[in-house]
Amino acid sequence: MSYLRKLVRSDRIAYLFVAPALCYMLLLVGYPILYNLLLSVQDVTVKNINNGRFSYIGLDNYVRLFTNDVLTTSIVNTLVFTVACIIAQFLIGFLLALFFNRAFRAARFVRGMMMMPWMIPMTVTALMFKFMFSTNVGIVNQALLAAGLIASPIDWLTSPVSAMIAVIAANVWIGIPFNMILLSVGLTTIPAELYESASIDGAGRWQSFRHITLPLLRPTIESVLVLGFIYTFKVFDLVFVMTNCGPVNATQLLSTYSYKLSFSLFKYSEGSAVANVLFVILLAASLVYLKYTYTEEEGM
Amino acid sequence: MKKLLAILMCVVMLTCGVAGLAAAEGKTTVNLWYYWENLSHQAELDKIIQGYNGSQDKVEVVASYIPFADFKKQLSIGAAADMLPDIVILDNPDHAAYSAMGIFADITDKVTSWDGLQYYYPGPMNSCMLDGRYYGIPFGSNDLALFYNEDMLAAANVAVPTTWDELTAAAKALTTDKVYGFALSSLQNEEGTFGFLPFLWSTGEDSYHLNSDGGIKALTLYQTLSTEGSLPKEAINWTQGDVMNQFSAGNLAMMVNGTWQIPTMRANITEFKWNVTYIPKDKEYSSDLGGENFAIIASGHVDEAFDFLMYATDPTRLASYIGNFGYIASRSDVASQQYQGDAVMQQFITLMQYAQARGPHPEWPSISDAISTAFNKVITGIATPADAAAEAQAVIDGIVK
Repeated sequence: MSYLRKLVRSDRIAYLFVAPALCYMLLLVGYPILYNLLLSVQDVTVKNINNGRFSYIGLDNYVRLFTNDVLTTSIVNTLVFTVACIIAQFLIGFLLALFFNRAFRAARFVRGMMMMPWMIPMTVTALMFKFMFSTNVGIVNQALLAAGLIASPIDWLTSPVSAMIAVIAANVWIGIPFNMILLSVGLTTIPAELYESASIDGAGRWQSFRHITLPLLRPTIESVLVLGFIYTFKVFDLVFVMTNCGPVNATQLLSTYSYKLSFSLFKYSEGSAVANVLFVILLAASLVYLKYTYTEEEGM
Repeated sequence: MKKLLAILMCVVMLTCGVAGLAAAEGKTTVNLWYYWENLSHQAELDKIIQGYNGSQDKVEVVASYIPFADFKKQLSIGAAADMLPDIVILDNPDHAAYSAMGIFADITDKVTSWDGLQYYYPGPMNSCMLDGRYYGIPFGSNDLALFYNEDMLAAANVAVPTTWDELTAAAKALTTDKVYGFALSSLQNEEGTFGFLPFLWSTGEDSYHLNSDGGIKALTLYQTLSTEGSLPKEAINWTQGDVMNQFSAGNLAMMVNGTWQIPTMRANITEFKWNVTYIPKDKEYSSDLGGENFAIIASGHVDEAFDFLMYATDPTRLASYIGNFGYIASRSDVASQQYQGDAVMQQFITLMQYAQARGPHPEWPSISDAISTAFNKVITGIATPADAAAEAQAVIDGIVK
């Protein structure tokens, strides 16, 4: 009993509290990551997955992948997709957050409704946008034709550039609520007194926004951007359903390419090599996020 | 502490109890995986299994449904984790890849001494083979044909096309601002390849030589149809089901599609008359063989599983259920008696003699990917037929040496 008491009083008890989480992380996060690394330097394919006769081939998988166009295309596509999505959904989400932050009667209700895209299963959204961007019967082309903006239907999902635009549009629609809600919450934490005293000092709308809202919202903005980057970078189902990664890899992303290699072409090692490329980029993003949150907590 | 012990004891006793119950049955359990999502297919399969389980007291077959999209993944994961069933009913082009993985039992001795073998069509039987050895038995087959809207052809005064030139001319003549002349699923995956191969084979070329006169000619046919506007570009995003729906809605005058669509089309199409015929040819008629095979897992109860296969493929029994699946039996003696008086299905049975199996090759998925990438490039205008064929050939040559 005295040992227990000593333990509780000492700092070492802290390790006990951390232990469950640590075990969980090692087992369910650490192990798969290590295993995936190991897999990517072996030559596991259909021919040997069952007999276990794998040999280590070093970085051959990576060399082969980086010398073939599809991986580079996937990396570029993923970056274009992510950056375009983040910019669009952040700006629209921010504007909506500012708008609904003003207390008007329907604000709460409409803000609730804005969450809809987030609640709809991704596959359903993807199918819906696939119909909307259909060349002949899609509402997008019908609307553009009716408005006289285009003379003939656009091949949205069957031409390389427009297919990318279409999947970005769909993902932005899904991403807006996430940005809006987090930024709204951030806005409510800014005390109203600050704006009052600012207006007494003669600050205009823009000055209040520039010198009160933006600086106080900075931690939220950073979180939203980094989390948004991570969510968007690993998108899979939306693109898989909407364009099947086509036409001819025009919307092939790292996640979909990794899946295709592993589960359609049975090249398990190459698939995990692509997953590792994805992992390294996301790890870098996470470290940036951690650095920001850490310095902020220290600063507090 | 006492409480905790009590709970633990309960858990232990419960587990023992459950294990004891299972052992008391005394029957060998044979697990079977399949991917038919269609409820009537599931009910039919259940009937076969119940019949078998009731017919003897040694083996109990238990079926599990795995969604098609997850099927390959589950099999691969199962292989790595040693958690496989005893029997699978799988898509025949994947058969060779899994045989090469070594997860299927080599049942050559059992199959060659089986009197049913002589009746099976060579196409389906080949899809079960790898390097001259048998790794399965066909379940049932289907193939592709040209479907056409009789009313539209009559209204446009167009004859049913039998050659490629007639096909492009007819497709162009049938295309209006609301209707596309011709379509087939051209997805960049196995489904798209499935529709393309009859055209490639029709030139006399095999699946492994796309950069040849025949291969380029077949790709040029796709290019012509696409640039003339008779084949919708959107076909690269259409599944075979989507194509069938477009045809049923009167948006397509002709399509290439398979046997399994017939029941749905008969139920849905009331506005117009339609029929099926040979896929137009270049040199010779051709069709693509689809369907499922039974395979036995090497690490499972091989003898018990084979016993069930013998029960399920018994000709009288096969004849009693295969039509309910919308399939053509893979053996000629049963198939020739099927669908009497049904002209549409008879046409599909006739086409069986031209139907070839894909592969079989352990890396067929990669070969198929190269082929489907090629015609996707051509339809979207990203590459010319010659360039697309050359690029695909480079990939295929890296696999087939």
